[in-house]
Amino acid sequence: MKTLRRQDTRIPRRPLLWLAAALLFTLPPMFGTLPSWVPLLFLIALTAKFWMQPKGYHLRSLFWKVVLVALILSLLFFSYGSLRGIEPGVSLIVMLTSVKILEAHTAREFHIMIMVAWVLCLCGFFLSQNLAIALCLLIAFTLLLVALIQFHRGSSSAFWPPVRTAGKLLAQAAPLIVLLFLFFPRFSTGFRFQIASQRGSSTGFSDHLSPGSVSSLTNSSEVAFRTEFPDGKIPTLGAMYWRGVVMWHCEGLEWNAPKNPAALPKTSQSSLRSEGVRQWITIEAHDARWMFALDWPANWPSGARLAPGDYLWSDQPIHKARRYEVTSYPEIPNNQLHSGEREPLLQLPAAISPAARALVQSWTAGKAEPRAIVEKALEFFRAQGFLYSPSPGEYGKNGLDEFLFHRRLGFCEHYAASFATLMRLAGVPARVVTGYLGGEYNEIGHFFLVRQADAHAWCEVWFPDRGWQRVDPTAVVAPDRVNLGFSSFLERRAAAGQLDNTQGVLARKLARWPIFARARLGWQTLSYAWDTRVLSFDGDEQESFFTAIGIAGRGPIFFIVGSLLVAIALLALYTGWTHLRTRACGDRIKRIYESFCRKAARLGAPRNPSEGPLDFSRRAMRLLPNDSERIRSIAEAYIALRYTPASDPMTLEQFAKAVSAFVRAS
Amino acid sequence: MRQGGSSKSSFPLAPTRSFAGLLFVLAAIWYAASSQNNAASYLLLFALMSVFLVSIPRTLLNLGGLQATAESIKPAFAGQEVSLPVEVTNESRATRYGIALTLPDLGDAGEHIDEIPAGKAARTVLRFPAATRGEHQIGRLHLTSVYPLGFLQVLKQLPTPQRYVVYPKPAGDQRLPAETARSGQRSSRRELGEGDDFAGVRAYVRGESQRHIDWKAVARGQALMTKQFTAESDGMLYLDLAAVQLDDLEARLSQLALWVIEAERARRPYGLRLPAAEIPPSLGESHLHRCLHALALFQ
Repeated sequence: MKTLRRQDTRIPRRPLLWLAAALLFTLPPMFGTLPSWVPLLFLIALTAKFWMQPKGYHLRSLFWKVVLVALILSLLFFSYGSLRGIEPGVSLIVMLTSVKILEAHTAREFHIMIMVAWVLCLCGFFLSQNLAIALCLLIAFTLLLVALIQFHRGSSSAFWPPVRTAGKLLAQAAPLIVLLFLFFPRFSTGFRFQIASQRGSSTGFSDHLSPGSVSSLTNSSEVAFRTEFPDGKIPTLGAMYWRGVVMWHCEGLEWNAPKNPAALPKTSQSSLRSEGVRQWITIEAHDARWMFALDWPANWPSGARLAPGDYLWSDQPIHKARRYEVTSYPEIPNNQLHSGEREPLLQLPAAISPAARALVQSWTAGKAEPRAIVEKALEFFRAQGFLYSPSPGEYGKNGLDEFLFHRRLGFCEHYAASFATLMRLAGVPARVVTGYLGGEYNEIGHFFLVRQADAHAWCEVWFPDRGWQRVDPTAVVAPDRVNLGFSSFLERRAAAGQLDNTQGVLARKLARWPIFARARLGWQTLSYAWDTRVLSFDGDEQESFFTAIGIAGRGPIFFIVGSLLVAIALLALYTGWTHLRTRACGDRIKRIYESFCRKAARLGAPRNPSEGPLDFSRRAMRLLPNDSERIRSIAEAYIALRYTPASDPMTLEQFAKAVSAFVRAS
Repeated sequence: MRQGGSSKSSFPLAPTRSFAGLLFVLAAIWYAASSQNNAASYLLLFALMSVFLVSIPRTLLNLGGLQATAESIKPAFAGQEVSLPVEVTNESRATRYGIALTLPDLGDAGEHIDEIPAGKAARTVLRFPAATRGEHQIGRLHLTSVYPLGFLQVLKQLPTPQRYVVYPKPAGDQRLPAETARSGQRSSRRELGEGDDFAGVRAYVRGESQRHIDWKAVARGQALMTKQFTAESDGMLYLDLAAVQLDDLEARLSQLALWVIEAERARRPYGLRLPAAEIPPSLGESHLHRCLHALALFQ
C-alpha cells in the first residue's frame, strides 16, 4: 500500500535486474555462432550498467555515442568483411543494444529495451533453433514479462509475486499459442533474405573427401539427423550405412563428388525383389543439399532427386530442419553399367607411384577375377599391420604412398579412398561413398540418433555378375567400429587404456550411470519431438493438417479472422469469469441504495455526496412530489437496515423490491 | 465526500505509447518468420501475441471495484501547491496494482499507488499548483492503470465536484498602514480578540482556536471557556481596497492579502473593506481565513 511519486528520470533497480537476467538468457545462441567479442562486449555493457545505475551515470554525450557506434560498425566490418547477412546483422543489433543499455535511463527507454530484448530473442532463433536454445529463449521471454510486471507494480520488493503473475499469464496464453500456431496461416512474403552460409564448414560433411575431413568430425556430438522406422523393421547396427554422397573423381587420397548431380529417372519398384525399409528422417539444417537414407534408396521425397550413384540430393539447400520419408532396399535399384559409364569409373590421377602400381600388379597377376582382387586388397589391409585411429595425423602431398607403405595409420576416409584408388588401378570400377554408419537408439522415443561423429566413408565396387557391391575396408581393420558404432567403439578403447583422455573417460563413465543415461535419452526424445512436431510445422505441414481435419482451402483471411475470433471469444469468457470472481463482494444493502440514488438522479434529484440518507430523502421528496411516498419508505427501510442491529431479512427483500420498482412506477 | 460508480464515458481501454513498439516488434517478427519460414520465430510471434491478448482482461479489470474518495481541500495561496488528499478503496476480491491518479483538468499532476490489497484502502495526496485566485472546481479525477504489461491503459473517470479556494498571492511593497483608521465610535477602541492583556473568559465556540481555551478551568471540571485578551493597539485597522494605491486590481488584492497576514502576525485587529462587503475588525485564525476568502472571491 506504499504510495510514491513516479520517478520518470530513473529506471527502478528491480525491473532493471529482471531485464538484465532476461538479456543474459538471450546470450547462449550468440556464443558459438557470433565472434566471441560480440557477446562479451554485451556482457561488459550490462555489468557497466549496474555499476553506473546507482550513481546516476549514463551515456550522455552525443559525441561518445557516435564514436561508439562508428567503432562498432568498423569492428563488425573488419571481422565479417561486410554487414550483409544474418550474422553480421545480429551482431549489429547486439552491439547497438549494448550502447542502448549504457544510454537508457528513463522509464520510456526501459520499454524500448524490453522491445529490443524481444528482437534479440528473435535473433537467437535465427542463429539456432535447437531445444536448448528454445528453452533459454523461453526463460528470457518469461523474465521480460516479469521485468514489465515488476516495473508496473512499482516499488514493491517481493520476489515471487511478479514471477507468479508472469507464469499465470504464460499459462493462460498457452492455449492461445497452440491455437495460433496450428491455425494462423503461414504466408510466405516472397521476400527472402538469404542466410549467409557459415554452417556448412563447421559440420564438416562435404562433397570433398580428403585425409582428415571425416576424422575432424569425430569429436562433434552435433546431431546430423534422426530416423524413425515406422514399420518396425530395423536393420542391425552394422548394416546401417546411411548414404550421403557418392564420389567419382579420384585424386589419390582425395576424392570429389559432382557439384550438381543430374537426376535419375524414377524406377519401377516392382523390379525390386526384396522388401523395403521405410524411414522417417529428420535432417538438421546444414545449408547444403545432401540428404541421407539407408543403402539403397529407391523412392525419394518431393523436392529431392536421386542422383547417379543412387543418393538423395535436395533441390534446394537445406536451411532448416526437414523431415522426409524414404524407402530403402537392400539391393541397388540402378544396377547397370553402360559402356560409356565405365570409362569415368576407372579415372585416376596422373601421379601414381610405381610402388602402388607394383602392389596392384601383384594382385592382378594371372587374370584374377575382380572378386579375388578385392579379397587380396582386403587381405593386404588386414595382414600388413594397418591401424585404425581417429587422429592419424597429417598426410602430405604423397599421401597415398605414405599411408600404404609407411605409416599405415588411418581413419575410415584413408581406407576408403586408398582402397577405391587401388581398385581402379587394378581395373575394377570403384567409387567412394560418404555418409554415416550406425547411430544411437533412443528407447524412450524409439528413434535412432545419428551424430556428426558417426560420419563414415566406404567403397562400392562393380562386379560384372552382381553389379555394385559395398566394400568397407574399415571393417577389416577395425571390425568393432562397424559393429558397435563409433561411440561404443571409443568406449571400449578407453576401457582398454588405449585412450589417455581422462576427462573424456570420466564423462563417459558418468554418462553410463542409469539415471544420467535415462535423462540423456529423455532429453534427446524431447528435442526430437521439438524438431519434428514444432520446427517442421511449416506452411506445407499446416496445409496437410487442414486437409486432415477437413478445413483445407479456405484462404488465409478465413483462418486469420477465425483464429482471432476464437481467441477473442476465449478472452471474453475469461474476462467475464474473472470479473465474477473478483467483483466487489460487499454490501448488498449499499449497492441497492446506490442504485436507488442513481435512479433518483436520473429523475432530477441527484444525491449530494455529503448528504445523509435522511436529508437526501427530504430533499428528493420536495423535488419529486409524485414519488414522495415511495422515497420515504425506501429511505426508512434503508436507515432501518443500515443502522438497526440485526435487522429482519424480510425487510431487505422488501427494500430491494421497492428500489427495483421505483423507476418503473414513476 | 464519496464519489463512486463507474464512468459512463466511452470505451475505457486505450493503447499506450509502448503499444506502438509492440506492434512494430510483432510486425518485425512476423516478417522475419514468414520470410524464413521459421517455425520457432512463429512460436515467438504467437507467444508475444497471446501474452498481450491475455493481458487485456487483466488490464481491463484492474480498476474494477475501486472507489476514490476525495477529502476536503485546504485553501492555498496563488503560486503555492494545492493538496488533494484522496483515499482509494478496493472493494473487489483481488489485489489491484499500479494505479495512477491524475487530474486531467489541472495539468499533469499525478500520483501512483503501487498496490491495494482486496478490501483495503490506500491514501495519497495529489498536489497541483494553485494558479489563479478564486474558487475552482477539481472537475474530474482519473484513475488509470497500465498493469500488467503496459501496452494498454484502462481509465476510470470519477467526476469530482469539489471546489477549492485559492487566496491571492500575498505580495506588495507598501507598508502596513501605521495610523489606524478609526471606525467611528471611540467606545470600541479596546477590541476583544487575541491581544496580550487578559480580559476575562467566555464560552468556547466550536471552531475557535484551541490555543486560548482555559485548560485549567477544564481541569477543574468546568465547561470549555475561551480566555479573552485585548490588543494593545489603540485602534482598529481597516484595510480598504479603495485605499491601496495601485493600478492593477490583482496587485491591490495581493497587497491586501499581505497586509492581512502582517496584521494578524502583529496581532493588530484588522477589518476588511471591499466595495461589496465589509468584515468588521477582529483577530484570529478564522478571521484571517474569512478575510482571505473574501479577497479570493472578489470579483
